[in-house]
Amino acid sequence: MSAPGKTEPLELIVRARTGDTQAWGDLYREFAPAIFRFCRRAMPTREDAEDATMEIFMKLRDKLEQYDQTRSFTAWLYRVAANHCWDMLRRRKLRQGKETEDVTELPLECPEPNQLEKLIEERTSEEVRKALDKLGVRARMALVMRYYSDMSYDEIADALGVRRAFVGVVLLRARHELRQALGENSVLAAGGIR
Amino acid sequence: MSQSELTPNKHLDEITLLLYVERQLDRESAQEVSLHTQTCTKCLTLLRALDRESRLLTRAMFEQDEPLPARLAEFQATVKRSMNWIWGVVFGLAMLGIYALYTGYIEPWQQQLEQAGFGSTNLLNLLLFQGAFWKGWQSMFTLLEAVALAATMGVALFAFRRYVRRGSTLAMMFASLGIMTTFATPASATEFRKGDTVEIKKEEVVKSDVFLSGDHVRIMGTVDGDVYAFGQQVDISGHVNGDVFLFAQSGRVSGQVDGSLRSFANNLTISGTVEHSVLAFNEVINLDSNGKIGRSITVFGETVTLDGKIERDVLGFFKQMAVSGTIGGALSGKGQSMSIGGGAVVGGPVNFEGPKEPSVASDAKLAYPVQFKLSEHKSYNVRGGGYYIWRVIWTGAYVLLGLVLISLMPKFAVETVRAAENLGASFGLGALVLPGVVIASIVACITVVGLLVGISALFLWVFVLISAEVVVGAIVGEWIMGKTTELWPLVARMAVGIIAVRVVTSLPWVGGWAALAVTLWGMGAVSLALYRRLQPVMAPNIPSVPMGPMGTPLPANTTVGGV
Repeated sequence: MSAPGKTEPLELIVRARTGDTQAWGDLYREFAPAIFRFCRRAMPTREDAEDATMEIFMKLRDKLEQYDQTRSFTAWLYRVAANHCWDMLRRRKLRQGKETEDVTELPLECPEPNQLEKLIEERTSEEVRKALDKLGVRARMALVMRYYSDMSYDEIADALGVRRAFVGVVLLRARHELRQALGENSVLAAGGIR
Repeated sequence: MSQSELTPNKHLDEITLLLYVERQLDRESAQEVSLHTQTCTKCLTLLRALDRESRLLTRAMFEQDEPLPARLAEFQATVKRSMNWIWGVVFGLAMLGIYALYTGYIEPWQQQLEQAGFGSTNLLNLLLFQGAFWKGWQSMFTLLEAVALAATMGVALFAFRRYVRRGSTLAMMFASLGIMTTFATPASATEFRKGDTVEIKKEEVVKSDVFLSGDHVRIMGTVDGDVYAFGQQVDISGHVNGDVFLFAQSGRVSGQVDGSLRSFANNLTISGTVEHSVLAFNEVINLDSNGKIGRSITVFGETVTLDGKIERDVLGFFKQMAVSGTIGGALSGKGQSMSIGGGAVVGGPVNFEGPKEPSVASDAKLAYPVQFKLSEHKSYNVRGGGYYIWRVIWTGAYVLLGLVLISLMPKFAVETVRAAENLGASFGLGALVLPGVVIASIVACITVVGLLVGISALFLWVFVLISAEVVVGAIVGEWIMGKTTELWPLVARMAVGIIAVRVVTSLPWVGGWAALAVTLWGMGAVSLALYRRLQPVMAPNIPSVPMGPMGTPLPANTTVGGV
């Protein structure tokens, strides 16, 4: 798992670990845009995303020692980012007095395949991004972890604190929420076609 | 996945297809799905749709729709490293500021109070154990609990400030307050009397606390409780078993008070007995030769005459003090002049700080020689280098406070600075809040129910008072360096602004007025921002989400609960 077009910056990491300021700057320059984009997708506002990006890189200074060089740095970095963003969102929800959403067992109605295809064909990337903003924090985070960071089901389960068997359900529910946001006036919005 | 789910007559459920697309099924199940979709067009279409949906999601997320913000582009790990020394300096200055506060104000007071025989090692003990405001352990715990709970409520209120608008949250908080008040020690019934002349007659016995208000207040009988007396003239010639809180133009205690006396009056004369201690803020206080105080007396007044007997210590801040009575403990005072007349007996050390040595009659009996300290006459316009050094230290402390406040509440900080731009409203509100909250808090405190509210409001007031300079610093900094809403640029502007404000408030003659203006302006801005925060805000224009009808039967292939 790695972000597209990114090679593993092992030399930079080694230098950064020794406190090389220049290496830190290079690491930051290389990965900040991707991490900011991750945070932008995961967090509700641009300001939150900016704060989260800075905090992730500050955290990285302490955490870099824990990085296992035999594994993908990008994947590890996304995991750090995902955990940080989810922690921020969860703390905020706790502060707001909202309990963490549980994976509900309400039924999901199966969409009519042709209408789903039509909906997907008609929607642009920009519309999807706008629709993402309307999702609940867990749904959005799950989608971002999976389709931006390419995190495995095990990693998502770990980060979100759910059983691995529920990750598929969380993702499916998130997709349903997304479809609802994408096509609020369509029949799919009401939970699908029978 | 059971075999029956894969028969051509029964379609696959969506989660199974999603897991197949995501390559999360085991080999056997994946083969079954593959076989099924070869013969079932509907499931194959759904499978393809899910796959396309995955790709759409990935594409949407990876597209670079906005560049890296300038704030992040500027943020480098090296910047943080280079900021470390600034934090070190600021923390150092703050520590010095705290040290200055302690050595300059708290420690001397503590020492003076200890010298005065209050025996305790801290002010809290003084108030709680030896003061009579709070009687006994039960009351003390109630006070501590109340303060702790008030502080907790204050913090909670701040943390949940955005959600206080919600009725349920408000209800919860008021319910909590209600529960808290029920935890407090139930107050005994209090009797209220009001009129031009209010009397407790000689033969009368009041079996409760009593609250007396009138032009002339006379207590000739007995009160089995505390007395709160407000009047032009208050005369206590009877017997009070509890404490006396006296607010009067002229007060006289010729009877017996078994508890303590707290007096706020122009003139106070004690010719009777106060079994416990006396705390008096009076222009003139006179302890008559027949007067007796069972413990200590602390007095803030212009003219203090002590002819009677005091079993323990005296601590006074006054213009002139004359002592010809008996003092069992120490005599400590600070003022213009002190005279210890013939017949005076002082069992403990005598300390006086003033412009000239106290006059001591030759026949006065002093256990220790008088310790005199010449008070330094500080001219406002003649300032030593130390003054300016401490100004620098305090500037650092304010910058640190600003850093903490802006870091903790970045959005509120920006809102407050924006509020400060509204000069008229800020000054007006500041002029209202500065004295108004204090008066309201005192009024709240002296009423039975309002103690929590009063103390909380006072805490908040002090906090806002301290923060005022930070707010004004931030806006002055913006005037100098331009507007911003970002964190570090705002911190930089705040620091520059605070330095500018401190320079202006250090100027002779105009500095004091400038400081007052800064206080009014800053307090007003914080109050205005708080006011705006607490105003109900219309919900953003979020389109309503259509809901499916309740109780609709589930379709045949619906799964419940997941895989």
